[in-house]
Amino acid sequence: MGELFNEAIIRPMLNVLLLLSHVLWDQYWLAIIVFTIVMRLIMTPLMLPQQRSAKKMQELQPRLKELQAKYGKDREKMAQAQMALYKEAGVSPLGGCLPTLVQFPIWIGLYQSIIHSLGHQPLNLVALSQDIYLKWSWLWSDVPLNRFFLGMDLSLTPQQMGGLTYALPILVAFTMWLQSKMMTPAGAGDPQSQSMNQSMTTMMPLMFGFFSLSFSAGLSFYFIVSNIIGIISQGFISGWSGLRFWQGMSLSKLFGGGARAGAPRPSGTKDVEATTAKPQRGMSSGSSTTGKKKRRRKR
Amino acid sequence: MSLKHTSRMLGAVALLTLLALVLSSCGAAPVSQDWPDLAVEGGIVYLVAGSPQSVYLLDAETGVQKAIFTPAIQSAGARYWSPVTTGGELAFVGFGVQEAKTYGLYAFDPLTGQERWHVATEDFVLGAPVYADGVVYFGSSDGKVYAVDTETRSVKGGWPFQAKDAVWGSPLVSDGKVYVASLGHHLYALDAQTGALAWDYDAGGAMAVRPALDPETGLLYVGDMVGKLNAVHAGSGKPLEGFSFQAKNWIWSETLVSDGRLYVTSLDGNLYALDPATGAVLPSFPVKGGDAVRAAPVRYGDAVYMASYEGKVTAVNAETGVSLWQWPSGLPTAQILTSPVVAGDTLYLLQASGQLFALEAETGVQSWSFTLTTQ
Repeated sequence: MGELFNEAIIRPMLNVLLLLSHVLWDQYWLAIIVFTIVMRLIMTPLMLPQQRSAKKMQELQPRLKELQAKYGKDREKMAQAQMALYKEAGVSPLGGCLPTLVQFPIWIGLYQSIIHSLGHQPLNLVALSQDIYLKWSWLWSDVPLNRFFLGMDLSLTPQQMGGLTYALPILVAFTMWLQSKMMTPAGAGDPQSQSMNQSMTTMMPLMFGFFSLSFSAGLSFYFIVSNIIGIISQGFISGWSGLRFWQGMSLSKLFGGGARAGAPRPSGTKDVEATTAKPQRGMSSGSSTTGKKKRRRKR
Repeated sequence: MSLKHTSRMLGAVALLTLLALVLSSCGAAPVSQDWPDLAVEGGIVYLVAGSPQSVYLLDAETGVQKAIFTPAIQSAGARYWSPVTTGGELAFVGFGVQEAKTYGLYAFDPLTGQERWHVATEDFVLGAPVYADGVVYFGSSDGKVYAVDTETRSVKGGWPFQAKDAVWGSPLVSDGKVYVASLGHHLYALDAQTGALAWDYDAGGAMAVRPALDPETGLLYVGDMVGKLNAVHAGSGKPLEGFSFQAKNWIWSETLVSDGRLYVTSLDGNLYALDPATGAVLPSFPVKGGDAVRAAPVRYGDAVYMASYEGKVTAVNAETGVSLWQWPSGLPTAQILTSPVVAGDTLYLLQASGQLFALEAETGVQSWSFTLTTQ
């Protein structure tokens, strides 16, 4: 199984990375950027439904709220109505999960291929000699790869390098958090769901940031570039207002406390419900609508 | 908090933990140690192995452990050593810990393993140091080539020399010159006294081994990571005209010059015997030794030995290429990356696991083995 995974996923990716580095003037960091963009393009058919689904779910929030108010504690009827609503809007509740699951082996393959190609200690290079396609033997002259970017060794971890490289895990966590924030509907669903969403939006980036401490800097580089691409593509789908992350921010809200059941909701959330009862194009996220409302009031 | 909410939360945490485990195991940067090293000098086997690695000093006749050398650095992290070399009543070894950013050349007593002194470097020393006339020469991973005076215990004036990329191979010292190959594709000739550059040759591929000198012709031979064997005049640094050899994968082993022939192993799994003037493969060769051969070939009597990555050791007749014996004769095998060593009539083999075997070179019969109890 491991051999199959290596032959089907890791080796092709690794050889493409080497090829890109060869073409891009032996700049491995550029190869990672181009490789990430290419991979995101290839995965677009998987990612796009996920991003569109996120947008539709945002648009459905006011109607879900209405259903909640209508059926109260009758969970069975609520579930039926909810499913009917999803069907009518053409949203699959699993639409967001399946693409992520399908991408999982691709992610692992990516991590592995970056590590294999960046490895510059003797043992790693012996392995690399067996991984490069014999038909592409002209890539041998590029070994060892130029693994430096702004004086940073992309094959080492921030823990090994120290100093300013600790900014990498922070950037990984921040860009991932921003991306999650743009994809997660503000004030989505019942207070419990909101609380869970907010916890996940915070916990996942924190965990990735923490793991990035012990990942090669090259991997962190991949995460950051991938997240930035995700932010840009989500911006084109649901608008850019999510980038104004500092608006209405508080520590309690960041860690999910602001959306606890029974806790007072921020006034912005109420505004969203009122204005998005009928979803409007380009006004999908709560903070976007809030922003426009505020500007309107000012005028 | 409702039961449903709690279970969803737990499910999410479980999924994240699973993701974390997968990423940690698949995505963590390699922190493995280098492969173990082996040297046999003055009746002592110097074995660099274990976890964490240390230098074990064994009696070459019996395999009985006599002493251990390990620098007094407590920091945890990836440790990298060079093979040991001896000279001037001392043993020398390169040692470094990545996380502690501590690197250097260490001199220790070859009988007791007591550290005598050390000289700090700015990166790992992976190639075996070479001792000549009271001076120890060695390269480091930041591309510096050092000459350390063992009397003053300091780097000689004019040194270190800065190569274009990492120096992983051991230098060759001959006739007042130091020849050293680098991963930056260049082979350098330096003045052994002053460190001044005499010439450099661009091979077109990374080199991680010591050049081999044919004293009769004054030619240097060194394999590279594009699978090419380079032949260069030691005096001028000019390539030998009409010489050409290309293996089917990288050459990461020192060339053996013996009886007017060249013996080269490659990561393509073959042992080649070549004409030293043209690079032409001689009849009956190559001989397949496995999927990949990193270890350098060694000679004893009529036999040439090669040890494959998969752990198979083959003795072949140096003239005819006919297989004389194989070790082990059956399973199990374990990876061998370290070049075998012949001392006296014994062939020493070191597996990647750190297990050392002493075989009768002529027959392949095992005399003794040494397994680290601390592993």
